Amino acid sequence: MAYFIGQILPYITVTVFVLGVLWRLWRWAAARIVHDITLSPFPQTKGEVLGIYLREIILFRNLFKFDLPLWVGAWPMHMALFGVLGGHVVGIYFLGKQFVYLGASEELSKHLSELLGTVMGTIFLAGLLYLLYRRAAIDRVRQVSNPSDYLMILLLIAIVSVGDFMRFFPAYGIEYEPVREWFYTLATFQPAAIPDNPFFILHILLVQVLIMIFPFSKLMHLFGMFGMRWIVNRVQREPAPGLPNVDVAAARAKGIGLPQAGAGDAA
Amino acid sequence: MPEYKGLKIPARATDEEMRKIHIEPVPDEQKVDKAIQYLDEIRKKFRSFVLAMESCVKCGACAENCHTYLGTRDPNNIPTMRAELMRKIYRRYFTPEGRWFGKLVGAQDLDLDTIMQWYSYFYQCNECRRCGHVCPFGIDTCEVTMIGRQILHWLGIVPKLHASVGASMERTGNHTGLTKAAIVDTLEFLSEEIRDEFGVEVTFPVDKEGADILYVPSSADFLLNPYTLMGAGMFFTYIGANWTISSHMTEAGNFGLLFDQQHTMRHLFTRLLHTAQQLGVKKIVWGECGHGWRAWKMYLKGMADLPLRWEITHIHNEVAYYIETNQLKLDPYKIGRPVTLHDPCNYVRACNLAETLRKVIRACVADFREMYPNREDNFCCGGGSAILFDDPEMYQLRIKFSAKKAEQVRATGVGKDGNGILCAPCSICKAQLYPMVEEHELGVEVKGLIDLVGMALVWR
Ligand code: HEM
Ligand code: SF4
Ligand code: SF4
Ligand code: SF4
Repeated sequence: MAYFIGQILPYITVTVFVLGVLWRLWRWAAARIVHDITLSPFPQTKGEVLGIYLREIILFRNLFKFDLPLWVGAWPMHMALFGVLGGHVVGIYFLGKQFVYLGASEELSKHLSELLGTVMGTIFLAGLLYLLYRRAAIDRVRQVSNPSDYLMILLLIAIVSVGDFMRFFPAYGIEYEPVREWFYTLATFQPAAIPDNPFFILHILLVQVLIMIFPFSKLMHLFGMFGMRWIVNRVQREPAPGLPNVDVAAARAKGIGLPQAGAGDAA
Repeated sequence: MPEYKGLKIPARATDEEMRKIHIEPVPDEQKVDKAIQYLDEIRKKFRSFVLAMESCVKCGACAENCHTYLGTRDPNNIPTMRAELMRKIYRRYFTPEGRWFGKLVGAQDLDLDTIMQWYSYFYQCNECRRCGHVCPFGIDTCEVTMIGRQILHWLGIVPKLHASVGASMERTGNHTGLTKAAIVDTLEFLSEEIRDEFGVEVTFPVDKEGADILYVPSSADFLLNPYTLMGAGMFFTYIGANWTISSHMTEAGNFGLLFDQQHTMRHLFTRLLHTAQQLGVKKIVWGECGHGWRAWKMYLKGMADLPLRWEITHIHNEVAYYIETNQLKLDPYKIGRPVTLHDPCNYVRACNLAETLRKVIRACVADFREMYPNREDNFCCGGGSAILFDDPEMYQLRIKFSAKKAEQVRATGVGKDGNGILCAPCSICKAQLYPMVEEHELGVEVKGLIDLVGMALVWR
């Protein structure tokens, strides 16, 4: 089992993910933007368009403005998610010593790395629990939910819980070094055995499930948001106003429309 | 009363009426197969639609932001649920997860009942795009509604109202079936009205070859909103324009946008281009109509079969330009009544007119009060996409759809003394709001924006 999860499944996972996402993106790209459905006010420059993208991705501004209670859970959850993702890459690659480059000692850097990971992981879990509660408790959100919407959050909760558990109880946790070693063997197509820690193996298994269903689930919103904004937020300029052969001053001087000037029709 | 298994549905066009708009209704036993075929064709074409199908996270942020849900609390009026009526079918037939894990991901086989649900709920959507505006990703449920209505149209399921307007567009070039005689008559009558009420001489040139400007009014202005036409006539006369109205193409709206964005919409597009060429005009100016302006401003360029040789601007843009350049003398104290502005969704979310409306209204009235939310955040009046059905049950829905608007108007206080003005510069908004301000007892009179311009002009 550990052999399958650690040495075979990763390749299947990556293949399914990459092909799945490419297939979906291709399907989107094959359909066209048939009509101009830019949302106004129209951005006047590419910079303004970029501004809209950034404020939605970094701040979730629409949620903040139109559904604050949702933002309260969604934004921290996503920021922690991005933090955790980045943290995994950096932490594992530098073995937690990344902050040495910012002037910290090795010891301090490792502590910082662990602290940050723990904080992010906790916010992540809290955000997910909040979103799960919201989905089940608020009528209108429950009404719009399919079973898969709950399963998605539950899966994420499972992944994060196992991760947080390893953090909070280092005795059951795992060091950065063996993980990096193992990734390295995977990347060079000479897969070694996965580090022998049941929690770590479970964590890796669940993550792979998540990555495999990614292209076939609503997680595609990661790309969908760019696709949709590309359609509705674009530069649009207005045609120049001003009417041909119109001289208002002359018309008023002539008194066009006033009874004594005769018929009101302009020449 | 039309009803289908408890669903609220508008009266349907008969098969005979469908044939008048060139559709041979699909027999019931073939409807499901045909619908899937049409859906397959459309999903391969429209990216906005595919993205709405594939990237919603069901966060529910759109729910409290759709006035139809606020007014009815019917879960199927939550924008994402409206889209889900289509999405569950889309998933079932066009995605692997839907094919293999049907129930789990909410996929479902198509049947006649679902098609009738489409008919009910896609015609309870005002196509106002507030959902697209608030969605964190910009998912525009209006696109799903439009495609739903397109498929229904091809199946032969269209409200009587929309089908009859479609037929009249082809017959006369306008929605209300005005003939040239009726147009000329009404305009002569309006000239007299202007003379009596404002003491100025305005004539409305019809089909004048060699005019510089073609003004395209909403045909509803001839019957329901005379002050909008009078205002436009006074504006063009005041600035000394060489303008005309065409009896061949007297329609600022385009119902094609609302039920058939192919044949019907294109018919009117082509008609305009032919007319402009024949009259030899230099510029085309558009009258007050929200969905219509969206169709002409945003859709024409992608659909015209002929090169576009004319710039088309909206009359509000032109009036604002002459106000900004100090060429119009307007007396804001002539209209001594409190005024609030309903932002037509199509103007403020699809056509960038929000600030223009304000430039004009501020110059025309002294006591202008914003309603909240306004501009692109505004709520629809409940008439959008011409779901102006009169059958008693549908009429009740219209009252509910306008509840949010009524609340907004009330909060401005303009109707407190019963002499307020609710400026709603869109033909469909006007048609919806004339009865709704009475239903909700708002103490306001509904007017267009050009109406106010005409009233405020200072001629000497
Ligand atoms: C640019 C990147 C992303 C943006 C802008 C973004 C934005 C959003 C927004 C606005 C929502 C709706 C609010 C909510 O329900 O929380 C949402 C939901 C969600 N996002 Fe993301 N997201 C991004 C990436 C991701 C990634 C990579 C994941 C994957 C692990 C993810 C997982 C989720 C989940 C599971 C939900 C649904 C939460 C619920 O059911 O309530 N997101 N996302
Ligand atoms: S706001 Fe957008 S993502 Fe959220 S449920 Fe509505 S359509 Fe879906
Ligand atoms: S377009 Fe308007 S009426 Fe239709 S679903 Fe969206 S918000 Fe509701
Ligand atoms: S009828 Fe008026 S308010 Fe309603 S959608 Fe049209 S423009 Fe919007």
